[in-house]
Parts: sequence; structure tokens; C-alpha cells
Amino acid sequence: MAQTLLITWRETLEAALIVGMLLTYLGRSGQRAGIRYVWLGAGGAVLAALGCGAASGDALTLLGPETQELLQAGILFLAVGVLSWMVLWMGRHARALRGDLQRKADRALAAGRLLGLAAIAFVAVFREGLETVLFLWGIVVQSGTGLEVAPLVAAGLAGAALAVGTAWLFFRGFAFLRLQTFFRVTGVLLLLVAAGLLASGVNKLIGLGYLPPIVPQVWNTAWLVRDGSPLGALLSALVGYRSRPSLLEVLAFGLYFPPMLWALRRAEGAAEAARSDAARSAA
Amino acid sequence: MRFQLAVGALGLAAALGVARADDLTVPVAVHDAGFEPAQVSTPSGARVRLEVSNETAAAIEFESFELNRERVVQPGQKVAVYLSGLSPGRYEFFDDFHPERKGVLVVE
Repeated sequence: MAQTLLITWRETLEAALIVGMLLTYLGRSGQRAGIRYVWLGAGGAVLAALGCGAASGDALTLLGPETQELLQAGILFLAVGVLSWMVLWMGRHARALRGDLQRKADRALAAGRLLGLAAIAFVAVFREGLETVLFLWGIVVQSGTGLEVAPLVAAGLAGAALAVGTAWLFFRGFAFLRLQTFFRVTGVLLLLVAAGLLASGVNKLIGLGYLPPIVPQVWNTAWLVRDGSPLGALLSALVGYRSRPSLLEVLAFGLYFPPMLWALRRAEGAAEAARSDAARSAA
Repeated sequence: MRFQLAVGALGLAAALGVARADDLTVPVAVHDAGFEPAQVSTPSGARVRLEVSNETAAAIEFESFELNRERVVQPGQKVAVYLSGLSPGRYEFFDDFHPERKGVLVVE
């Protein structure tokens, strides 16, 4: 039962962290309109995952295992694209927001950004949600083998709730940060998440035989952080941690993260320049 | 020119370990009791196509930290997991949804 709890905790953690990060960001920047869209995306994903889980015998099998995995990789790359775009946009706003935040006035967000927020929440929750549903559904299916189902399913759901709690605690820890620092940290964290998702997508294509690993195992840090451990799961959710990555995954991470970090710094800098320009022309 | 580039890219991809026709197929089935066989071996340097079939009534997740692979397999389905360039050694794998089911790939 503890095992069931740990499994759903791990499966749900990444989604909870991403959604938590978006909600915290929107809350602290006073962009309340966006919050509803994040919940809409997350809620829609839970329903979609439940629907797919219920239909897993038919709908998913119909696609074929290879197509399913390709679809997953495609979704990951899409998520990387949308996340990158959102982070740069957040960066441009981070500094401009500074002055009038205390009012917590509702800020109008363009329709595209709202959809972007909903899309990220949907993708994050759907991906992990589907696995959780399949796993819990499996427990129900196996009830014939003499397992007591109800406590196991309850443990599974408790694991998911615990993941949400973990994410909440994680962001509570951010509350003490000054707003500007908070925005900076959120931006960098989301870029790390995106880099991890990119590496995961690449890992899937390697497993499918579409891409070469180049070197199957560049290093092994299992002695430091084991993949299945709570810390390993947290790092995996945040930065796509794996103890034994292939060279291609490391390259994907390394070619994505530094340039994006640079672009984020530039976006923040541009926002600052625009602000002081505006201040100067007003004076 | 474009054709030569394409051939070159394919050749490079093959040399680096992308799937191709002469991959060594290694079947592993998942039953309620566990992996069958629980130990498989392959020669080192081979491109391996590990064929995981789920013969239970519930979804499984083939997972290996040592091989850096994870893959959900629906009941009754068979998936191919590609592995290449592995150095000799023991690589454990398990079913993440039922961690008591374990197996090992031995690269000789």
C-alpha cells in the first residue's frame, strides 16, 4: 500500500509542480484572469485522462504502441515550445510589473496567453494523469487476483494528494522571496522544467530507435541520488533528472537551457530598458 | 547531392545506433508472476530490440534506471524498446506499476 502511494506520488509530482508554479506566478503578479485558465486546463486534463483510462482497451490500443509513444514525444516537444514562449513573455513582464503589484488589480491577458497557460496545464496534467489512471485502473482490474482493491485505490489517490501537498509546500518556501527575485527564480525553474521535458522527449525517441543515444551512458550519479528515491523523483520532475543519461539527452539539455537563459535575461533587460525609457519621456 | 547527404545521414545514424533491420530481437513477456524469462543476455556492441509483451490483464510500465528506459505497455500489447552500445554488465529492469516483478539484461 505504501508502494502504491509512492508510485502515484511520483507520477503526479511533476504535474503538481508545473501547475503550482503557474498558479503561484499568476497569483503573485496579480494576473487573476490567468488562474482560471490554468485550472480549466488542469481540470480538462483530469477528465481527459479518466476518459482515456476508461477507454484504454479500445482507444489507446487502436493507436498502436509506437504511435502512442510518438504522440507522447510530440506532446513533450509541444510543451517545451509553449513553456519557452510563456517564460520569455513572463520575463518581459517581470520588471514592468514591479511598481503596481500591491494593488493586485486584474490584468488583462491576451487570449493567446490565456490559451497558452491552459495548454501547459493540460499537457502537464494529462501526461502524468493518464499514467496514474492506467496504474489505478490496473489495480481495479486485478481485483480478481484476491487483492483488496479499495485500500489500494485510496492509497493511490492519497499519493496524488500528497504530490499536490508537496508542490504546495515547495511554493510556500518561495513566499519569503522578494517579488522580483521570485519572478526570476520562477523563470529559471520553468526553463529547467522545459529542458527536462525536452530531454524526456529525446529519451522516448531514442527508446523507439529513431534517434541514436550516441553514448548510452555519459555518467552515473546513482550513488548520489537514486532515480526512484523521493529526491530523485523531485529532481526528475523539476529538471528531468536521470542518474544515467545518454549523451544525446545531455546535449539536448545543454543546447536548450543556456541559450534560453540568455534570452530570458535579455527579455528582462529589455523590459527594464522600456520602463526607464517610458519614465524618461514622461518626465 | 541531396541523395548522398541522405545516404550519409542514414549511414551515420546506423553507425551511431539507430534502429535497423538487423537489430537483435530479444523477447520478454510479462506475466502476473513476473518477467519471462527473468534473465536475458545479449552480446556487447549489439543493437538490441527488446520486445516487451504484456500478457497480464492490466497496464504495466517497463522501467529500468540502469538502461534509462521507461515505457507503459497496455494489456495484450507488445512494444519494442531499443538499446545500443551497452557495455558488458548487468542491467536490471522492473515493472514500475508492480515493482515486485523484476528482470535483468546481461550484456556479455
